[in-house]
Amino acid sequence: MRLRKQKGPIIANGDGTFSISLTTDERATLLGFVDQLASILESGPDDARLRRLYPTAYHNDPEHDAEYQGYMRDELSQSRMASINVVKELLASEESISEAQLHAFMTVLNNLRLVLGTLLDVGEEDDEPDEDDPAFGQWQLYSYLGWLLEWTVSALTE
Amino acid sequence: MPFTTPLGNQQIETAEPSVDNQTDEVVDLQLPWIVLVWNDPINLMSYVSFVLQKLFGYPKEKADSLMMDVHEKGRAVVSNGPRERAELDVFRLHEHGLWATMQQDT
Repeated sequence: MRLRKQKGPIIANGDGTFSISLTTDERATLLGFVDQLASILESGPDDARLRRLYPTAYHNDPEHDAEYQGYMRDELSQSRMASINVVKELLASEESISEAQLHAFMTVLNNLRLVLGTLLDVGEEDDEPDEDDPAFGQWQLYSYLGWLLEWTVSALTE
Repeated sequence: MPFTTPLGNQQIETAEPSVDNQTDEVVDLQLPWIVLVWNDPINLMSYVSFVLQKLFGYPKEKADSLMMDVHEKGRAVVSNGPRERAELDVFRLHEHGLWATMQQDT
């Protein structure tokens, strides 16, 4: 990591609050992706794009796992939608945010990366494709989300 | 915008953590449950370490070391305890997008 703290988009204000320094365009773009994530989540946990968001809980134990998923899946979905609503609100405003709000921002960024990474079938050794690749834009977004997530984690651990 | 619908539906290959085919296992109520986190190519290392610190209160050194185990050995035990506790830990890890499972210690 060679990122410099003073240039990050997430700023710890020193009083327990944080500021998100993103342009209006970036905020609008992110909001669009968050809306897409919300609509995919509404389509239900069986959507293949959500595979990484609803993993198996009981290893090698389908019976207990089915039982677990029966009572935990809805709760997991509700928790995700709650975080999404927090993020929609904070992206629409320039005001400083609390640690809890930044935490929600972090989990939503990670959810977006998981869905996008699943679509791109990201592996351990993947290099970004060149500009001719039809998925080039998605890879750029994937990198952007990773960059933003690194800065968010960094701000939360300061 | 080069990507108007970046999360549009496409073909996705399914993959699960490797299975050891343990069947007909007798559940021993005395055995504690362990919670494992599996390696995945998407989650950032700094993020995984931070989540382990946040959820379990582990110091950074311990969280980093567990994260490196996940990365290099493919998985690591991040917590253990009674079944209800393990279920809660798995839930919180899933909430944070980590690839966590639970099983009885053997």
